[in-house]
Amino acid sequence: MSDAAKGGNWTVDPVTVEVIGNAISSIAEEMGETLIRASYSTNIKERRDCSTVLFDARGRTLYQAEHIPIHLGSLMGVVEAILERFPADQIREGDVFIGNDAYTGGGTHLPDIVLASPIYHEGALAGWATNLAHHADFVDRGHDHIYQEGLRIPPIRLQRAGELQQDVLDLILLNCQVPRERLNDLRAQLAANRFGIQRFQALCARYGTDFLNRVFDELLDYAERRMRAGIAEIPDGTYAFEDSFDSDELDETLNFRLRLTVRGDEMDLDFIDIPPQVRAGLNLVETALLATAYYAVKTGVDPSAPPNAGLFRPITVSAPYGSILNAAPPGAVNGRTNTCQRVVDLVHGALAQAVPERLVAACNGAVTSATFTGTNPRTGEFYVYLETLGGGFGARASKDGLDGVQVHVTNTSNLPVEGLEPEYPLIVERYELVRDSGGPGQWRGGMGIRRQIRAIDHQCRMFIYGTREESAPWGLFGGLEGGRYRLERDPGVAPLVSGVGELAPGQSVAVVTPGAGGYGPPERRDQALVRRDLAEDRISPETARRAYGIEYGEESGVAAKAGR
Amino acid sequence: MSTWRVGVDSGGTFTDVCLLEEESGRLAVWKVPSTPDDPSVAISGGAREALDRFAGGSALVVFFGHGTTVATNALIQRRGARIGLITSEGFRDLLEIGRQRRPDLYDLQADKPETLVPRDRRLEVPERILHDGAVLARPTPEAIQAAARHLAAMGVDALAICFLYSFRDPTHERLAAEIAAQQLGDTFVTCSHAVCPEFREFERLSTTVVNAFLGPVIKGYLSQLAPRLADAGIRVEPHITQSNGGTITFETASELPVRTVLSGPSTGVVGALETARAAGIENIITFDMGGTSTDVSLVEAGRPRTTTEAEVHGYPLKVPMIDIHTVGAGGGSIADVDAGGLLKVGPRSAGAAPGPVCYGLGNEEPTVTDANVVMQVLNPRELLGGRMPIERDKAVGAIGALAGRLGLDVNESAAGIIRVVTASMARAIRVISVQRGHDPRDYCLVAFGGAGPLHASRLARELEIPKVLVPRNPGILCALGLLLTDLRHDLSLTRRLRLDEGAQGEAHEAFASLRGDAEAWFEREGVAAERRRLVASADMRYAGQNYELNVPLPELAGEAQLLDALRSGFEAAHQRLYGYTAPEEPIEVMTFRIEAYGLVDKPKLGAAPDAGPDAAGARIGKREVYLPELKDFVACPVYDRERLAAGNRIEGPAVVEQMDSTTLVLPGQSATVDPHLNLILEFGEDA
Repeated sequence: MSDAAKGGNWTVDPVTVEVIGNAISSIAEEMGETLIRASYSTNIKERRDCSTVLFDARGRTLYQAEHIPIHLGSLMGVVEAILERFPADQIREGDVFIGNDAYTGGGTHLPDIVLASPIYHEGALAGWATNLAHHADFVDRGHDHIYQEGLRIPPIRLQRAGELQQDVLDLILLNCQVPRERLNDLRAQLAANRFGIQRFQALCARYGTDFLNRVFDELLDYAERRMRAGIAEIPDGTYAFEDSFDSDELDETLNFRLRLTVRGDEMDLDFIDIPPQVRAGLNLVETALLATAYYAVKTGVDPSAPPNAGLFRPITVSAPYGSILNAAPPGAVNGRTNTCQRVVDLVHGALAQAVPERLVAACNGAVTSATFTGTNPRTGEFYVYLETLGGGFGARASKDGLDGVQVHVTNTSNLPVEGLEPEYPLIVERYELVRDSGGPGQWRGGMGIRRQIRAIDHQCRMFIYGTREESAPWGLFGGLEGGRYRLERDPGVAPLVSGVGELAPGQSVAVVTPGAGGYGPPERRDQALVRRDLAEDRISPETARRAYGIEYGEESGVAAKAGR
Repeated sequence: MSTWRVGVDSGGTFTDVCLLEEESGRLAVWKVPSTPDDPSVAISGGAREALDRFAGGSALVVFFGHGTTVATNALIQRRGARIGLITSEGFRDLLEIGRQRRPDLYDLQADKPETLVPRDRRLEVPERILHDGAVLARPTPEAIQAAARHLAAMGVDALAICFLYSFRDPTHERLAAEIAAQQLGDTFVTCSHAVCPEFREFERLSTTVVNAFLGPVIKGYLSQLAPRLADAGIRVEPHITQSNGGTITFETASELPVRTVLSGPSTGVVGALETARAAGIENIITFDMGGTSTDVSLVEAGRPRTTTEAEVHGYPLKVPMIDIHTVGAGGGSIADVDAGGLLKVGPRSAGAAPGPVCYGLGNEEPTVTDANVVMQVLNPRELLGGRMPIERDKAVGAIGALAGRLGLDVNESAAGIIRVVTASMARAIRVISVQRGHDPRDYCLVAFGGAGPLHASRLARELEIPKVLVPRNPGILCALGLLLTDLRHDLSLTRRLRLDEGAQGEAHEAFASLRGDAEAWFEREGVAAERRRLVASADMRYAGQNYELNVPLPELAGEAQLLDALRSGFEAAHQRLYGYTAPEEPIEVMTFRIEAYGLVDKPKLGAAPDAGPDAAGARIGKREVYLPELKDFVACPVYDRERLAAGNRIEGPAVVEQMDSTTLVLPGQSATVDPHLNLILEFGEDA
C-alpha cells in the first residue's frame, strides 16, 4: 500500500484535487459528446457504443467517461502497448495512434478501434487523450481464430506530427465493408481527441505538469483508499461461486468457477478450472478480463469511487493463460462480451454470500447482439445494422430488478425505429417486454425484451449471438430464475447455425433476451405487488398461481389488449 | 389614468411582483409569502396589493405576465394526471424501455424515474405507417373505441396518443383523438404530432406523456387563476412564460403545458438578457444561484441558446427550451468529507428550514452559507436587511468539525467549501459554453438569485470571464423578466431533405408552410402586424450523422439564396464545433424551424445621472473578511447597495450589501455602477 493511501496524507490540498478531478472528468465526458455528435454510423451516433479515457504520461487511467465499462479493457491496453512499442523519443506532438488488435494492440476485439493521441506541454509528454468507437464492420467473417475476424491493426500512426497518413487510412478502409461510415466515424474520433488535447493543455498551462502529476497521484491514491475502505467492510473469507456458459457457437455448455478471497482491504479473484480457449469468438484477452473484474468489484464495493487506475490496486485477478478467460493468440474474440457478463455473474454470486444487501440476483447475463446485413434495395449499397439488446436486471435486496435495460459491461442505447427504418431495409414489428421473464421472488427480477425485425424487399443475412439459452439467470436467497434467451423464427426461416442465418424478403425473426433472477422466496412477496404484476400482464395467471400461490379469479378482465 | 405592466413570479417561498409604469418607466417591487396550496391566492392578492400601494386604485393593467413552477413541481412530485396511452401495435413498452440504458453505470441500486403510465393503461391498436409515409395498417374505429372505453373504465383523466411516424402523417393520431374524445368526454387528450412533430419515437412519446400528465394540473391551475385575476381588477388577457423564454396565453398553455416546465428559470434568463442589453451587453452567461440549486445558461448576441431536447426531472422532453443547465448546489448545500477524505458539497441541502447552521434553527451540518459567514463575506450578525439574525459561532463550530477531518484550519476549510462550489459551477458553465463550442471568456457573467452575486467574482476568475454584471435587484430578476418578455411560439417541421439542386423548392415550401402557421398564431394571439417578427433556422447534419446542428438563417433568404445560406451556415457551425468539414459529403436538413415573436414594448429603464466615482457616501463600515487569496482576514470596506449612485467606483477587496443579496469584489477587481444602477465588476490588467 502506498503511504498516501493509508489515511489521506495529502501532498496537495484535497480541495485542489477535487477541482482538478472535476476538470479531468469533464474533459473526458465532453470528448465523448463530440464523438457521438459528429459520428456517422448508427452504432455510435445513436447507440453510443464508444468510450473516452484520459491517461497520464505514464499510461495510468485518470478517468473513464461513463459509457461502456468493457471498453476500459481496450483503452488501458493500447497506451501500454504504444509505450512498449515506441521509445518515448519516437513519439511526437501531433501523432495519433490507431489500433484494435487484441494481442498486440491492447484491444479486446477488432471492431473496437482506438485512437490514442499523446498530449504535449512545453515539449514534454503530459498525458494521453484516447477514445474507442465500435465500428459496426468486419461482418460475415469467421471466428475460428482472430485472423478471420477482421483486419488486425497494431498500434500504428494514423497521423504523424499533425499529418494524416493517407496510406494507413487507405489500407484500413479497403478492409472495411462500409468504408464511408468508417471514414467519417474516424474523423469524429480525431475531432474528439483534438478537443481533449486542447482542454488538457489548457489545464497544463494553468497548473504546470509537475503539479498536475502530483494531483494525479493523489486522485489515484484517493480511488485506492475508497476501494480499500469498501473492501475492508466485507467480512474476510473465501467465497466460491460456479456458473455455466452456453452459446450457439459452442457444442457444449462450459463451467466456470471463481474463488474470491477477501483479506483485510484487499481482494483476490481466482478463476479456477476454466476451460481452455475455444475455436469461437468467445475468448477474453487479459485486459478484457481485468476491465470486467474491476467493473464487477467496483459495483459491489463502492459504485461511486472514481473510475481511475487507483481502484485496480487492491484487486488481483488471475485466470489460467490459454483459457477462455485469458486467451493466447490467435484465439478469436469477437463475441467476448457474452463471456464477460458471465464473469460478472461469478463475481456477484461470490460477493452476494458476503454482503447480500449490496448485490443483486443474476442480471440477464448476456450482450445479446443481432446484426443484419445485405444490399439495401433502395440505395444499392451494402449495409450493416448492429443492435445489442438489453434484458432483465437482477432483483435487489429491497426492490424489484429493472425491466429491459443493458447490464454490466455494456450500456448501449437502442436505435430508434424512426432512425433505423429510413436507413436500412428493415421493419421493427415489436419492441416489448416479455411476460413471465422476470424471475419470481420476494423481489421480482427484471423482464427481458422481445424485438422483432422483418426484412423488406431483399435477402438479408443475420448474425445473432446470445447466451443463457441453456442455463437461466439465477435467483438469490430463494428467488427463482429468470427467463431464457431464445429466437422466434417465422415459418420458413431456417434455424441459425452458430448464430448465422438468412431472412428472405418479408420474413421476420424475433430475438427474446433473458430476464433476470428474483431475490428472496416468492411466497414472501407482497400480494399487492403480485396482483399489480398480474394486472399489468407482467406475469401470467399460471405464474401467479404456481410461483406465488395466488388464484387467478376476480382479477380477470385485466390486461386486455384493445383491438385484439 | 396611468397604465401599468405587471409581472408575477411565483416561487416556493415568495411570490414576487414587479410593476412598471409604462409612461415614466417607474419600477416597483413587492414580495408576499407564497400560498403553496393554491398559488393563485398569493398571485392575485400580491398583484392587487402592489397595485394599490404603488399605482393607486385607478391604475389600468395593460399587460400581465406570469412565471410559475406549478408544472415543474407537479413533475418533481409526480402529482399529475392519471394517464392512459394509445400507441402503435408492438410498442406499448417503449415508454418504459426508453433508450434501454440503465440509470447509473455502477450503482446496482439505482432506479429509473417512475413510468408515468402503468403498463395496464398503455394500450395498442393495430396501426403502422412507414418511414416514407406509406400506410401499412390503418387503425379501425372499433379498435380505438374499444381502447378508449377500456381506459374510461379505468378512470383516466388524460389520454396520450402516439403512433410511429405521426410527424410525417398525423391522420391516424387525429382519427384516434376524435374517436377517443367521443368516448372520454372531458378528458384531456393530447397527440404526439401536435406536441412534438419530430423523429425519434421515444423522446416524442415521453414528451407527449408528460404533456398529458401536466394537462389537467395546468388547466385546473389556470382556470382558478384567471377569474381571481379578473376579480383583482386585472382585465387584460394574462400570459404565462414557457420554457423557451417567450410567453403564451393561458389557453395555449393549457393545451401544451409541457412547454411550461422551465417557466420559472426561463424568466430569469430573459430578465438577465434584457438587463444586460440595456447596459449594451449582448453576450452573457446567466448565473442564477439560489438556496438548493443553480441555473446557468448562455445568451449569444441577445438570443438565449435554446435546445429542443433535454431531460427534465428524469424525463426526456423534446420541446423548445432555453438551454438551462441546473446543478444541485446552492447556498444551502451541505459540505461533507467522504470515505476517501475528499471534500464534497451538495447535492444534499439544508433548504430554507432549518437552513444553514448559522440560522440557529437546528441544522448542524455546515453549508455554503456557513462558509461565507465564517469568512465574513456574508454579514456575520444579520441577513435579509436585519430580518434574519446570524450566529457565526455556530457556523465556526460546524466548519471546525469538518476542518479536523480535512487536516486544515477553519478558515481554509471554509475557503475550501467555496472552491469546491465554484468548481462545480464552473463545470456547469462549461457544459453550456465550451461543450457547445462557445468560449466563456467572450461572455459577461450576469449574476443573480440570492447567492449569485456572492460567488460570481471567483467563478469569473476560475473561467477567466473578464466581466460580471450584478443587476440592481438580483433577487427579483425573474419577476422583472416577465415585463420584458415577448410573446413567442416555436414551430417546427421534420422533413428530411438533402441539399442538392432539387431541394430549393421544397425548402422554400417548408418555410412557407411554417410561416403560414405562424401567421395563424399571430391572429389567434391578436398580435398587430408591426409587432410580428419571425426567426428562421434549420437543424442540419451531414447525411449520415444523427445529431443536427441548428443553423440560424439571418433572414429568410429568397428562394434563390436559401440553399447557399443553409450550406455555408452549416459548414461554419460544423467547423466551429468539431474542427473540420467533410466537403465531399452531402448535407441534409432534418427539421425546419421558425420562431414567431409578438414583440412587446420594452420599458425604458431610466438612466440615472452620473454622480462621479466617489462611493464614500455609500460606505457603511468595515469588516474583516477572510481572503484565501491573501490567506488572511483583511479589513474590507462595506457598501450599501441602496446608496450607490451611477458612476461610483469601488476597488476590491470590498463587500456590497443589499436586502436580498451580497456582492463580493475581489482584490484586483473593481466595481462600477452603471447608469441603470447595475454593478459592473472587472478585473484589472494584472489580476
